[in-house]
Amino acid sequence: MATVVTAEYSNMVPALAPERAVTWPKRTKTRLANGMEVVLAESHSIPKFHGELYFRAGNALVSGRAPGLAEMTATVVRTGTAKRTSRQIEEDLRRLGADLGSSAGQDNSGISFAGLSEFAEPILELVNELARDAAFPEAEFERERRQKLEEVKLERTSPGFLAGERLRKVLFGAHPYGIVSPSEAQVAAYRREDLLETYREIYAPENALLLLVGDFEPAAMLKSIEKIFGNWQGKKPAAKESAVPPRPQGRRVYLVHNPGSVQTQILAGVHAITRKHPDWVRLGLTNSLYGGAFNSRLVMNIREDKGYTYSPRSGVSALRQHGYFTVSAAVRNDVVAASLTEMFYELDKLRSLPVPAAELADAQNYVAGIFSMGLATQDGLLSQLSTVELNELPADYLETYREKVRSITSGEMLSTARKYFDSPNMQIVVVGERAQIEEQARLFGPTEVFDAQGNKLE
Amino acid sequence: MKRLQVPIEYKTLKNGLGVVIVPDPAAPVVTLGVYYKIGFRLEPQGRSGFAHLFEHMMFQGSENAAKMQHIKLINSSGGVLNGSTMYDVTNYYEAVPSNALERVLWLEADRMRALKVDDENLKNQRDVVKEEVRVNVMNQPYGGFPWLDMPPVAFRNWANSHNFYGDFVDLDAASLADVQSFFRTYYLPNNAVLLMLGDVTPEDGFAVAEKYFGGIPAGAPPPFADPTEPPQKEERRGHVEEKFGTLPAMAIGYVMPARRTPDWFAMAMLDQALHGGRAGRIHRELVLEKQVAVEADGGIDDIFGYNGPTQMSTRILHKPEYSSEQTLAAFDAVLRDVREKGIAANELEEIKVKWRSDYYSTLEGGRGGYMPRYGLMHLLACFTLFDKEPALVNSILDGFLSVTREDIQRVADKYLKPENRAIVFRTPVSKTVKEAA
Repeated sequence: MATVVTAEYSNMVPALAPERAVTWPKRTKTRLANGMEVVLAESHSIPKFHGELYFRAGNALVSGRAPGLAEMTATVVRTGTAKRTSRQIEEDLRRLGADLGSSAGQDNSGISFAGLSEFAEPILELVNELARDAAFPEAEFERERRQKLEEVKLERTSPGFLAGERLRKVLFGAHPYGIVSPSEAQVAAYRREDLLETYREIYAPENALLLLVGDFEPAAMLKSIEKIFGNWQGKKPAAKESAVPPRPQGRRVYLVHNPGSVQTQILAGVHAITRKHPDWVRLGLTNSLYGGAFNSRLVMNIREDKGYTYSPRSGVSALRQHGYFTVSAAVRNDVVAASLTEMFYELDKLRSLPVPAAELADAQNYVAGIFSMGLATQDGLLSQLSTVELNELPADYLETYREKVRSITSGEMLSTARKYFDSPNMQIVVVGERAQIEEQARLFGPTEVFDAQGNKLE
Repeated sequence: MKRLQVPIEYKTLKNGLGVVIVPDPAAPVVTLGVYYKIGFRLEPQGRSGFAHLFEHMMFQGSENAAKMQHIKLINSSGGVLNGSTMYDVTNYYEAVPSNALERVLWLEADRMRALKVDDENLKNQRDVVKEEVRVNVMNQPYGGFPWLDMPPVAFRNWANSHNFYGDFVDLDAASLADVQSFFRTYYLPNNAVLLMLGDVTPEDGFAVAEKYFGGIPAGAPPPFADPTEPPQKEERRGHVEEKFGTLPAMAIGYVMPARRTPDWFAMAMLDQALHGGRAGRIHRELVLEKQVAVEADGGIDDIFGYNGPTQMSTRILHKPEYSSEQTLAAFDAVLRDVREKGIAANELEEIKVKWRSDYYSTLEGGRGGYMPRYGLMHLLACFTLFDKEPALVNSILDGFLSVTREDIQRVADKYLKPENRAIVFRTPVSKTVKEAA
């Protein structure tokens, strides 16, 4: 038996008291005449507020021009507007007690911010200026481009990056999700005009979602928002067809040779589902029991029983168009094969045997319980509202989630595992010192070897 | 200006255990913590890394909760848990739905009363800790830089200068007898504080604290080695090889004044002028304007959480076309300017607004999305263990907000001088060496 045998609890363990009801705060949801969606929620834990101004398009939309272009655009957005220089922007933020970040992923671009409630209006004015009147000063662009060049060189020295990059290539191929970061040559070829074009395309009110959580009065806040953002005009970009990702069949191994490694990063993955899929909550619970919690089978097995790793985990990554399931751990070099064996053992066990009732109840309590932790902080609540709104989930998603989790049966877990823990077709990436791990890796399937730059090695 | 005031209730049980409660019924969630006043600074000599290894052992079983039951009971109550080892304290904390309050207290009391671990547990966690060190330090670009690289260069007292994550030889030498002796010496109610924040009333909180912890006997006050540093009279320099990263790096650290002194408050504000994000002078000059560096940031790490020598430090990754000395010269120019001219009045006012805003976020803020009020818990614990005064959480802001420009210039001149600093250069090994490896 690979799992730890657990004794019955001591009868001294205090029982849980009756649960206090979880009440989600009321959300004020509107759409301005220009198409911008606005969602507001009160949270008075501290005299501050947290916000996100999202645009529902990111790197994937503009990947035909260059990978990472939306991200580079977002980086330069904060470096100047028609009215303020880069330095003024940073000093204004400090004066208003505010933090601000601008970034883009595959599916969204966004400006995230937080600040003192007493300065909510000037902070929103600055956000508005960045979203509408960014100037993309030539010198700022040039500096950020050079910075990015150093960053893309540097990220290739991180085992986690190399593993994630290879898996995405394998799972998504020519689909824009197949590239997580631009090459040096692609960064070198970025032009200011490309950024401007991307900015004009993505940063438009019809494409925007403004979320605010914090210490404010919603009616007054909505008035400020209308005043600040109301006269902005712009259409959302046309949707774009993306290539169909491959569905790799059969286990294959991708070894990324990272000279000098004293440990091996394992990352295995397979296609799964997006958050909109009706199986999402069931898959979340099944994942939690497999390797998504401290008290999960994978952690018990390869960490607490065998001591192979500090950092085992599994998860479901959901992008807008596709989702995928992964399991990962950084392990001692001599137990790469042993770790993979246990990872698959635990997957296959969930695909073969029903989860015992007590273990199912424990997992349900865990997933339902931590879901309400977000209530207690402004940014926790903001992150949950972001998930709901960006994925266009039902309005009662927060209110009904815990109930859904608690109604899942052992039989549903089994069929969920069979469907998505597709162990025969998992794609395996290992990043480490080739000489120490290649023999172990080859036990798990046809193996290709790459260097850290992505070149195939013989 | 709206000032945040936290309602704090504080008592000490007969066995010396401090109990701090902050009631807030807004969400049916409670954050709990037990802090012990022992960190890696004062772990036994010849046992580097032991305080952290010991922290792992606290999850391996106690009198009435066998290995894994602790984790299982918290997770299955709908909560999360963790622990961490710092310079002068070690914490164990949970965030759970408030109906699990008593269960968590029972578990924390059980492991404060008696650890029940064996050689197999110790071997298992030694292996886990080694992989933790590899994943965070040995197998990462710039792993441990500068928090592990700086102490041996900057300090002379073993307490401050040793490898806090632990040399593997020392980890291997740690025995079960060491574990039990460390536990008996430091893990005492009279060397700890219990914190409950969120959906709990003071009345209920104190009653259950007494119920579960009241019967744990106090022990002899633990001995603490003296962490005082001999006076530093010259700049100190050290070199470390960077095995993976592509950019040359350096860290510059200045020894801080003692905590809660007027100089300390002023240094915190000066630190914000220097390291306050993209508006900070160091980032602005080195990254945005002179463009010598790719990263330049830093500050006073966990300013409220230490109780011994520490530094304000800057971490720089610079472009390979600039030499270390050129980069250091650019850094020195920033410091020279502030030592000669101080900072502007509006700059200080801006910093104070940002500091107040950041302070509120620290109090509310979690560790990840699932640990609300971690920061408030941490500050309350440190002010209780170091000062016996958790209410400092509500008043300490005043000390920062009353710092003047004259204070800033005084401390800049007094502390930002070469003989008060240490520099670590972390230089990539040459490409040819790397490829032959």
